[in-house]
Amino acid sequence: MKTFEEKWTAWLDGQLSGRELIEFQSSLPDLAAAEAEKRDAHKLGAFLKKEAGSHALTNEEFFSHQLRERIAAETRTQSRGGLRSTWWTVPRLVWSGATALALFVVCAFVIMTQQQPGEQSEYLTQILKTQVDPGANPNATISIFESKNDNKVTVLWTEGLQTLPADYAAK
Amino acid sequence: MLRPQLIAVLVILAVAVVSAHAEHAVWSGLVIAENVPQPAAIPPELTKLEQTLKDLFGYNQFEVIGQSNKTLKSGEEDWLATSKYFALQCDARGENDAGYNLNLKLYKEKDVLLETDANLSKSSPLVIKGPQVGSGQLLLVLVVKEEEHPQARHHRRAEPANPIRAGFNRLRRAVRRIFP
Repeated sequence: MKTFEEKWTAWLDGQLSGRELIEFQSSLPDLAAAEAEKRDAHKLGAFLKKEAGSHALTNEEFFSHQLRERIAAETRTQSRGGLRSTWWTVPRLVWSGATALALFVVCAFVIMTQQQPGEQSEYLTQILKTQVDPGANPNATISIFESKNDNKVTVLWTEGLQTLPADYAAK
Repeated sequence: MLRPQLIAVLVILAVAVVSAHAEHAVWSGLVIAENVPQPAAIPPELTKLEQTLKDLFGYNQFEVIGQSNKTLKSGEEDWLATSKYFALQCDARGENDAGYNLNLKLYKEKDVLLETDANLSKSSPLVIKGPQVGSGQLLLVLVVKEEEHPQARHHRRAEPANPIRAGFNRLRRAVRRIFP
């Protein structure tokens, strides 16, 4: 003689049949609630079977799974490597270069207009204008240069000036 | 409350500016260069330039026949360096960052032999080769000196004082080397 619990377990497992099934179902106070409980038990069983099965990897399977995942990830990275996007696209590179060049030209222009082309460095004395009396010295020539040594002497060199007698050297 | 302090700062700044402008003097000399068997010692004003003058002109003696040592305060002073027959008239027409704008006239008695406008740098002496005088050569030498002033000793330098200006000029020279 089976107890109620044994019959209930067999009913849940679908192992009752024939007259035994009819008698058990008729003995249930609420057949609809029992059917709902049976469905829930089946769902729970299926869920547990599924979850328990997913973790049932052996060490070899787990290691193999990890390797496959890594190989797949590296393959994806390599395949996307050639198409990696960057801010320095070709048009932006061209525009950046053109902008830098334009800025350089503007700065160079501004700097060069600060001083006339003939001017010398401000560290050296600059000869702005020179004239010799052309009547007394018709063959006079003038040249300007800087000394080569550290004194930075600016020299105004005249040639062809009228020679004067030694008396003019008097103090 | 702050007004007395502000006035004091302005006064100090004004004194500093005035003293900074009072630091320089221009030495102007009429020099006769010639070769002699026993050359005299070079005048102290030309000591720094001795080798340069010898290299440039090939003489062994440099004698000052006229000179002037003019302290510049406004940068618009006039002065004269004279000898018996020559006179060097210097007319300062303002100071700029590099030095002094000068108009120079070399007179032989009343005749103007040479006239030049120059921007005399504080760090670059000017030497002008004048006429041949006997066996020698007349030279005009102008040098900006810093006054031997207690405050000036702390500010002695060869280059213009403004580092921003100096940096800008270096950049300008670099650009000029690229675009001659």
